[in-house]
Amino acid sequence: MTLIERAWNLLRVDDPSPTLKHTPTTLAFIAAIIVTISVPGVQVTSLSAVYAAIWAVALSTGLGFLFTWVPNLRHLAIIVPCIDLLAIGALRTGTGGVSSLFASLIILPVVWIASQKGRQYIVIAAAGTSVALMMPFILGVSHFTEPADWLRGIISPIIFAIAAAIINEMSRQSRLQVSKVRALAEERDVMLKGAVDYTERLRENEQRLRDADQLTRSVLDAVTEQSVIGSDVTGLIDVWNPGAERMFGLGPLETQGKRYVHEFHLADELNERSKELNYPPGETVLNPGFSALVESARLGVPEVRQWTYLRDDGSSLTVEIAVTRRTDQNGKTGGYLFVATDVTQALEVSRLKDEFVGLISHELRTPLSSILGYLELMRDDEESPLSYEQVQYLGVAERNAHRLLRLVGDLLFTAQVGSSSFSLVASDIDVAPIVRASLESAKPVADAAGVSLSADMCEEAMLIHGDAVRLGQAVDNLISNAIKFTPRGGSVAVIVGELDGKAEITVTDTGMGIPEDELDKLFARFFRASTATRAAVPGVGLGLTITKAIIVAHEGELDVASIVGVGTSFIVRLPLAGAKASSTAS
Amino acid sequence: MTSTLRVVIADDDPDIRGLVAIAVRKAGFDLVGQAADGPSAWSAVSEAHPDLVVLDVSMPGMTGLEVATLIRADESFAGTRIALLSAGVGESAIQAGVDAGADHYLTKPFSPRDLATQLQEIMA
Repeated sequence: MTLIERAWNLLRVDDPSPTLKHTPTTLAFIAAIIVTISVPGVQVTSLSAVYAAIWAVALSTGLGFLFTWVPNLRHLAIIVPCIDLLAIGALRTGTGGVSSLFASLIILPVVWIASQKGRQYIVIAAAGTSVALMMPFILGVSHFTEPADWLRGIISPIIFAIAAAIINEMSRQSRLQVSKVRALAEERDVMLKGAVDYTERLRENEQRLRDADQLTRSVLDAVTEQSVIGSDVTGLIDVWNPGAERMFGLGPLETQGKRYVHEFHLADELNERSKELNYPPGETVLNPGFSALVESARLGVPEVRQWTYLRDDGSSLTVEIAVTRRTDQNGKTGGYLFVATDVTQALEVSRLKDEFVGLISHELRTPLSSILGYLELMRDDEESPLSYEQVQYLGVAERNAHRLLRLVGDLLFTAQVGSSSFSLVASDIDVAPIVRASLESAKPVADAAGVSLSADMCEEAMLIHGDAVRLGQAVDNLISNAIKFTPRGGSVAVIVGELDGKAEITVTDTGMGIPEDELDKLFARFFRASTATRAAVPGVGLGLTITKAIIVAHEGELDVASIVGVGTSFIVRLPLAGAKASSTAS
Repeated sequence: MTSTLRVVIADDDPDIRGLVAIAVRKAGFDLVGQAADGPSAWSAVSEAHPDLVVLDVSMPGMTGLEVATLIRADESFAGTRIALLSAGVGESAIQAGVDAGADHYLTKPFSPRDLATQLQEIMA
């Protein structure tokens, strides 16, 4: 406890210190001494008793200070008023005994004693009063001359005891009230603290909400290439970002709360979609076609679909719109969000790509047709047959023309894969005959390359739903690759079996292998393994891209495992027709 | 009786046209007209009323598909068979040919020997 705190404790009125309680007695005593000295009529009957009284009051005052200053000794403070009673008794004895002017001073320490907590202090107050009143007789300054003197020694303490009892009770009541007030004050403090905490939390939440709102606005404002439009459940626009402003040439002030989403759509498209969805619920005359627009999102499935946006000037643009549902804190649909990307340019690029593919197809294949056709005519000319050497030269020309044709075919197919424009002519087909055909066509090449070709085929029919021509192309690619990358004396093994409801075709060679860090790039267009380029194996890096695309189009998987210098395995897994049907049914 | 079958061919590429002509003769058919563009092809067909028309899809003036559509729209050519010859190999290209009324869709490149066989099969 600091010095200032101790000084403050000295003066506290709500919990008065011994010094403060003692102050009235001290002041009254000083006044009594002054009166005794200065007033001529006041007689001093015993100077030693007066001195004793002064010393006693000085002692009690000192103790009052001590108990105030040392809180641990505060419980002994009751000694102070007790000494005061003795001091007043002595003063009374020294200033005329029973006729002393200062008997009434007794009330001051009595009040102190009686106000202490506990009934025993009533007895102490009464006893102390009795001693103080009877002191002139005890010390022999006064003598019992009349029966009333005895009565004074009994009645006065009784009166003081009654007064002490009343004070004690009032003090108790007062303490109870103070205690209640304090409890209430504490409760109030707790509530106040709670309120302050709550206010602080509220303020923090408000700040967080403001930050989140600001973040949302920033994100919306940052999206300038897409239009982000929000609406309530009826389609009335309530969010309109700068992307939408740019797309439509309208600001948020012109649209938010004023326009409906369907107004920016081609009505025929919305009607058509409504018809397709059998006129979903929730549509009103205010928002024709809107329910069709949001039907999927309303059911909780975000939808991305191509639509036509209409500007106010009548122009239109093709957009891809992602429609999502907005939900409130209870999970109920509060509206929808429409994030649209202008795909006009993308469609144009796609169209140009298709045109390019068509051009390549026509302009490269047509001269190749002429080359191959006329080479064949030369070879087949029975009227003027070619020499052996000329036939050899013709063979080289034909082989290279076919190579060029394959390359054109691969490029064309790769372009079709890229633009997702290739399709399968699918039916239920047996895997084994396809692999067998590929093996047969690869046999002469393997023999020429000095590579042994072996097969382990499953005897039972394994039906898959697929395109036999495309699958044959994929298997051809894998087997011809395996032969191409295997040095003379090596082997290529093809295993066909069934595993976990899938047809599995494994093509394993003992070739040069592929470095591990290149395996994940193996199916990228025009990628060639470093081992292949180092060994100068011819190719452009499209075969595996095409193979993978074909397998994926069949909902299959193509895996590869390889060790450089040891060999490579390609594993094709294709869902069996029965398994596929049952998985679809389930 | 195949020697009496009359054929008109149309292709803007003279080399290809020459190859097709050889294939037609190899097949034993009578080549009664040749054209290098769509309008000429339609004129040749209108004049000759052939049993078979071999049309390239990509031709100036009118495409082979458009010529095929014109032929199919005219009932006087009800007995005329149409074979389209194209470098396009996609399913959509074939479907476009079928939609235009073609009976057969032949793809480039082709072997003259095989084309002759195919034409014989078509007219068999």
